[in-house]
Amino acid sequence: MHTDVHKTEITRRSLLSLLGWGAFFTTLAISVPASIRFLFPRVLFEKPSTFKIGAPDDFRINGNSEHQVYETWKAEHSVWLVKEKNRIYAVHAKCTHLGCTPNWFPDEGVFKCPCHGSQFNRSGVNFAGPAPRPLDRLKISIGKDGMLVVDKSRVYTFNEFDKQGTYVEV
Amino acid sequence: MKPNKNIWQSIRFSPLFKSIFRHGYDDTKQNKILQIRSNVFLHLHPVKVPAHAMKIRFTWCMGGITFFLFLVETITGILLMFYYRPVPEYAYQDMKYLEFDVPFGILLRNIHRWAAHLMVGTVMLHMLRVFLTGSYKPPREFNWVVGVMLLIFTFLLSFTGYLLPWDQLAYWAITVGTNMIRATPFIGHEGPFALLDKYNDVRFMILGGTEIGANALLRFYVLHIVVLPAAAIIFMAVHFWRIRKDGGISGPL
Amino acid sequence: MPLFVPLPLCSLVPLYKTMYHSKSKKHLVWPDLAFMEFLTAVALTIILIAWALLANAPLLEIASPARSENPSKAPWYFVGLQELLVYFDPWIAGVMIPSIIVFCLMMIPYVDCNSKGSGEYSFSLRKFAVINFIFGFLMWLTLLFVGFFLRGPSWQLYLPWESWEKVKDIEENLWSLNPAVGLISLLAYLALFIILPAVIKKDFYKRRGIARYAIVMLSLALMYFVPMKILLRLVFNIKYVLVTPWFNV
Repeated sequence: MHTDVHKTEITRRSLLSLLGWGAFFTTLAISVPASIRFLFPRVLFEKPSTFKIGAPDDFRINGNSEHQVYETWKAEHSVWLVKEKNRIYAVHAKCTHLGCTPNWFPDEGVFKCPCHGSQFNRSGVNFAGPAPRPLDRLKISIGKDGMLVVDKSRVYTFNEFDKQGTYVEV
Repeated sequence: MKPNKNIWQSIRFSPLFKSIFRHGYDDTKQNKILQIRSNVFLHLHPVKVPAHAMKIRFTWCMGGITFFLFLVETITGILLMFYYRPVPEYAYQDMKYLEFDVPFGILLRNIHRWAAHLMVGTVMLHMLRVFLTGSYKPPREFNWVVGVMLLIFTFLLSFTGYLLPWDQLAYWAITVGTNMIRATPFIGHEGPFALLDKYNDVRFMILGGTEIGANALLRFYVLHIVVLPAAAIIFMAVHFWRIRKDGGISGPL
Repeated sequence: MPLFVPLPLCSLVPLYKTMYHSKSKKHLVWPDLAFMEFLTAVALTIILIAWALLANAPLLEIASPARSENPSKAPWYFVGLQELLVYFDPWIAGVMIPSIIVFCLMMIPYVDCNSKGSGEYSFSLRKFAVINFIFGFLMWLTLLFVGFFLRGPSWQLYLPWESWEKVKDIEENLWSLNPAVGLISLLAYLALFIILPAVIKKDFYKRRGIARYAIVMLSLALMYFVPMKILLRLVFNIKYVLVTPWFNV
């Protein structure tokens, strides 16, 4: 038998071909996004994003500088607590260039990143190296029990530093 | 059957031996051809090659050495898998265990590591050689593309393996490497025109989390021992097949 | 002129000529080549075992997310890209440059129309291709070398005999070009690089056709932009050539 391919009428062969390829591409269209979704877990076994750091009065400035940087939570949570005269804020210990952990040099009053040499002053503002912006800050608030709570899931970049939640007045 | 002169002769001409190895070392042209033709491994080669294919000056032997190193990596890698658990709690311990307590553990690990470094180098030199001899020119264009894919697979194989010791060197090298992915335009959360946040961008997909942790280690392990080697083997098969189908090793016209 | 010339057709003629180069003398693979390969494998095995006995693979302390290694170096074959981070933002150094390199490498056989010099070492028959490829290859090696051997703590330049104990301070006053000036100079660079050769050497352009020519010249323009940007940074302290609200180059 001879089939004219230029005719648009539906033959048994063309219908089956359509069905076959249709099923193939439908399966593909469902399974590819599903496989990609598979790679994004619903639950993460990472450290909880909020943690208590103590009462506001626990933080005070030693000596006659205007800043005090607390390194207590750096090892576990990658956070520095900075106490200024009348505010406390949480600085994210993660270089804004490529995410290495900077180190705090109290004598110089400088955060230095070991990876590409970015440097930040005591309030986290970048002044040397490739870092594109100041160190980010994390949400800090006073909980119901009067204790300070840091929430790492909310990150503020430098143009949001005046927003509520970036610091606590004391 | 010939009279058996000694034990070797009796083995050599036994039906059992003959059923496995059909061809001896007879110096006849027919036998030399059969040696290649009838051996599943050796028939990767054609029976005859042009004279320049045997000159190291021409080939640098880099492709062959790379393939050999891939085999070394496969064997040592499989052996290391017997002792290595890709979990943050155990990975580093297992490295120490391999180093101090497993017989020949440190030797296997060293060979695996150094051969991997060597392989990245020989792949790059192989590419340089193929370029300098113009061997990508028609009809071998597509095989060059396959070769570029293999270069990438080699980089990725080495890179994914780099995380597995779970020491400071591994952790921070991979941190630096994967942090660049965040900066991918559109699909990375810190790149230009970012559309996604750190919980659903492309870096999250690769690491299975926002930081390098248990998921990332397991993913790199699976990529390192299954996904990438399988991909490399498929592409190598195509690569070698195409060399033959595109007229064998390139040479002056 | 059609905008898109079908690329792979640039030299179909010599295709079957290259398939079977019957001129050269043939050798049997068994036993000579097989034996050479066997010897190579034996030699390499000896080298690897000796190397493994002499030097241990590095194993530092257990991974600790809170404490960055100083310096944190990528594996040596990616250190070149890491070195580029000094001069480019991460989305260029870490994403665009490697992607473009891979794409350009894959395009080479489809844009190289020169059918001469196939299967032999020849500089004179394909000067253009060899010079540019070698330039790129050497640049890659140079970046690897600088990143691997010459970078110390805080990614500062330390010569091999300098002690890493010595702290080097970063005193840089980087500045960026005015956005308008930057945009104009960048466009001018691209335009000159892409148009000038076509005007001066018409033959060079005609042989390739517009599509192939555009791919070749754009790739080369991008490749030579990398050392130029590095020079601008090192000599004139320029951080960005082009500043936009969305990204910086």
